[in-house]
Amino acid sequence: MRNKIILSSAFTLSFVIFLGACGNEANVKYQRYYADGSQVYKIYCENCHMSKGEGLADLIPALTDTTFLRENRAKLPCFVNNGLKDSIQINGKIYQSLMPAEKNLAAIDVAKVLTYVTNSFGNNQGIYDVKEVENQLNQCN
Amino acid sequence: MEYLKFPMLMMLISGFMACKSGSSSKSLPILGSREPITKVVNGKTEVDTVYQTIPRFSFMDQDSVIINNDSLNNKIYVADFFFTTCPSICPIMSKHMLEIYNKYKGNPEVAILSHTIDPKHDTIPVLKKYAEKLGVKDNQWHFLLGAQDTVYQLAKEGYMSFAAQDSTVPGGITHSGYFILVDSKKHIRGAYDGTDDEQVHQLMKDMDVLLAEEKNLKNEK
Repeated sequence: MRNKIILSSAFTLSFVIFLGACGNEANVKYQRYYADGSQVYKIYCENCHMSKGEGLADLIPALTDTTFLRENRAKLPCFVNNGLKDSIQINGKIYQSLMPAEKNLAAIDVAKVLTYVTNSFGNNQGIYDVKEVENQLNQCN
Repeated sequence: MEYLKFPMLMMLISGFMACKSGSSSKSLPILGSREPITKVVNGKTEVDTVYQTIPRFSFMDQDSVIINNDSLNNKIYVADFFFTTCPSICPIMSKHMLEIYNKYKGNPEVAILSHTIDPKHDTIPVLKKYAEKLGVKDNQWHFLLGAQDTVYQLAKEGYMSFAAQDSTVPGGITHSGYFILVDSKKHIRGAYDGTDDEQVHQLMKDMDVLLAEEKNLKNEK
């Protein structure tokens, strides 16, 4: 009986791995962006926005406002590269602190970190492609 | 049941060890430089040790109240150095200090001092706003403004910490992220990395140890 269970679970596991390996290319790209993005986040964002994206009291906004992220999707790359001076409203609260610019961050890293942010902390908005980011960075004010 | 015996024994042993290490850590060391002084008491020569103490200081906090050594009598306190526009390690330090503040809120024997190292920008109204936005509305956590040179010197000589201008780092000022624990006699009893979760939790444990020590001292008097 026990052997039977082990055998069948081993079979199921290998089947699942087999299926996963066959996952489509888009999914692989998303996984790569997300994993790399979490590293970019650690270096450039986590000091202020914290490890769970919770921010800091009324000083630094959380990254959990899904509606804000969705509505400002096109502006997010500019926020990252140029920083923010104007006050913004997140989760119903006004934030006025300066957000530092990360001018040296390449478009691909911006795409990766935004993929990470918009799919973590309760957000679920799919991949940010590097082409989309390049396009939007050209249109920053 | 046989196979359970060994892990249970191990648990018992580690349990004992945990108790032992718990009791031996009941006293915190006094850090910093020290020098022996000899004096003659009742005809006998005695050697006493003088420990490093925080030098006298006087700064203004976010409510324009002067805070000096005397305002911290009978208190233990945690000190750090920061500036409000610091993009690097300060937010995580503030987050951790906020945890400490929330744990000891309302305890008259505990104070927190955060010295700004950017007095040009961090004026009293700026510090007040920063405190309010962090959720600090009482007078237990002081955000202190003082002349830059004085604060840098206090960091270096008083707290064995450091702060200096450096145009190559984000924000233009470099400083250590230490939280320094000071007892009611102004002796340094611990230094902890304010950016590290575990060390900050150790600091809170040590604060409890120190508070118990201070209580015993008061009872002896």
